[in-house]
Amino acid sequence: MIYGDKNTGVIVQGATGRQGAFHIDLMNEYAESVGGKGVVAGVTPGKGGQEVHGVPVYNSVREALLEHDASVSVLFVPGFAAGDSIMEAAYNGLDLVVAITEHIPVHDTIKAISYAEIEGCSVIGPNCPGTMSPGELKLGIMPAQLAMRGNVGVISRSGTLTYEVVNELSRAGIGQSTIVGIGGDPVIGETFVDVIERFDKDPETKAVVLIGEVGGNLEEEGASYSNLPLVTYIAGISAPPEKRMGHAGAIVAGGEGDARSKISRLESMGITVAKKPSDIPVLIRELL
Amino acid sequence: MKLLEYEAKDIFKKYGIPVAKGFVVKKTDCDGTGAVINTGIERCELGEEVVIKAQVEVGGRGKAGGVVICPSGDAPEKSAAMFAKEIKGVPVETILVEEKLPITGEYYVSITLDRSKKAPVILFSAEGGVEIEETAKNNPGALHRVRVSPMLDDIPDFMMRELLRGAPKELAPVIKSLYRVFCKSDAILAEINPLVTTERGVYAADAKIIVDDNALGRQGISVNRDLTERERLAEDLGFSYVELDGNIGVIGNGAGLTMSTLDMIEYFGGKAANFLDVGGGADRKRVCSAVKLVSGMDGVKVIVVNLLGGITRCDEVAAGIVEAGVPQQVVVRLAGTNEAEGKKILSEKGYRMLGSMEEVVKFAVEEAD
Repeated sequence: MIYGDKNTGVIVQGATGRQGAFHIDLMNEYAESVGGKGVVAGVTPGKGGQEVHGVPVYNSVREALLEHDASVSVLFVPGFAAGDSIMEAAYNGLDLVVAITEHIPVHDTIKAISYAEIEGCSVIGPNCPGTMSPGELKLGIMPAQLAMRGNVGVISRSGTLTYEVVNELSRAGIGQSTIVGIGGDPVIGETFVDVIERFDKDPETKAVVLIGEVGGNLEEEGASYSNLPLVTYIAGISAPPEKRMGHAGAIVAGGEGDARSKISRLESMGITVAKKPSDIPVLIRELL
Repeated sequence: MKLLEYEAKDIFKKYGIPVAKGFVVKKTDCDGTGAVINTGIERCELGEEVVIKAQVEVGGRGKAGGVVICPSGDAPEKSAAMFAKEIKGVPVETILVEEKLPITGEYYVSITLDRSKKAPVILFSAEGGVEIEETAKNNPGALHRVRVSPMLDDIPDFMMRELLRGAPKELAPVIKSLYRVFCKSDAILAEINPLVTTERGVYAADAKIIVDDNALGRQGISVNRDLTERERLAEDLGFSYVELDGNIGVIGNGAGLTMSTLDMIEYFGGKAANFLDVGGGADRKRVCSAVKLVSGMDGVKVIVVNLLGGITRCDEVAAGIVEAGVPQQVVVRLAGTNEAEGKKILSEKGYRMLGSMEEVVKFAVEEAD
């Protein structure tokens, strides 16, 4: 488990919003089913004293931590306020913030991530589905029923494509150690490199699936760090240049970051690249 | 969203970056007599020679005939000619008429975001005025680069020395101002090419700013001009949408899954007509309008719906597809939350459903052929 386990206490920032409340319930349902601690407190400024699905809500992270033991925050606050909330979590000593929020202005993101780093706090996301270690911990919005405990680590920039691949793996009887959706924004906290470093040190993880897409070169950077066997898949072969393919970060700009050149760079590094998601289980089995 | 040169220069002025004297003319303001141009030149005291620049959002404008230098007296005629032009397929609606700067040196500076370092990165080259991609390729040593911590609000002096090396020190205040423009305008790119020296001082001879789409609201921009009309309509409905030129309509949830569906179409030899991501938690109304939007595109023969329900419920998706009731065949792959209920709704209405995204794409490619 690279980000926590059953004993990890979680707070949710943006607890009283529609998404926040809905997912507090789902995360705690999962925590209960695996005997985990789950979400112990919610935070929404001005809404202190309320309850969301039995979870007490506080006005600030500081107030929540006076009453509860937590090391992680999952963030559902709206884009314009999310950068501030990441910094609040980091300032109050949390180890990890999982920022589900999309549409955060990128200048807010770079400041918040830089600040969190100074405070020793890691950030997953923004614009991500979160992370889960099946049987132990779910942080975010991943559909838990698709996952299965095992020894393959999964890292991805895309939410639903992660679910698709996890589903294929589970159906093929290949379980996952930890699944991490790192997010579809151009600048994100934990990158492929960071997550792969964690998987390398994780005794549970024996192989890694890396799911990338057009834009930037974080995939190649991450793959070159890995000591574990790796299967990659890159979405966006058919993405036209200069068009944003749903994610703010998924854009082929100035001839850079297109899928074909990403794939050929990965292949030249000796890394297996799947042609379609359904090929991944077979390729992973060969490596295990 | 890309700003036009004159819009970017208006921002530059606010931050104290000198730009050439000049004025903006819209095509609709001209009556054919050239009076507007002549008055402008006189009022702004542009001198004996002027530069007429088409305000179009395309790269390589100069080479494509979008920049003309002429004696002031010829400006009305040259402006009219410019308005009659298309630059790389884009009609000229607005021009900028400027004084011709007495240039003594040309440089390049741009600020953008480094994804892996998660920080602004500044590029500077003493070879300005040319295509910077060429410089990067042929003479990478001429391109100096520094990365500024997002925790700093100014470029430290040692970084400035590292950037400029032998170049004139007078460029430094302009580069520092450009950094403030980059941060305060929520830019993902701020560029001056060329940044020029003259006997009167340093000027931004051109200006380029791309504003982060997630920050348009707080920058006071209400309409994203980078989108086509249908793309804007899709955005208003809350979809991510990109138009392509094939005949298979694609609706998915999640950017990655939808992109992957497009790739699979290519893999099986078909051509996608579009990319439409309905986003998380789409209800029947949203799905219905998505199907109708794609159905309304020219040349769409068949529509693939690939949905992996998580927050999104399959029964809502199914109801939306049925409600849209479009003439094209809609082939569906549904999996996840409320899958059984969704499949029941569609099968009662005779919709074609397949078990995996591979199967559904393969079938659609055959049908579209």
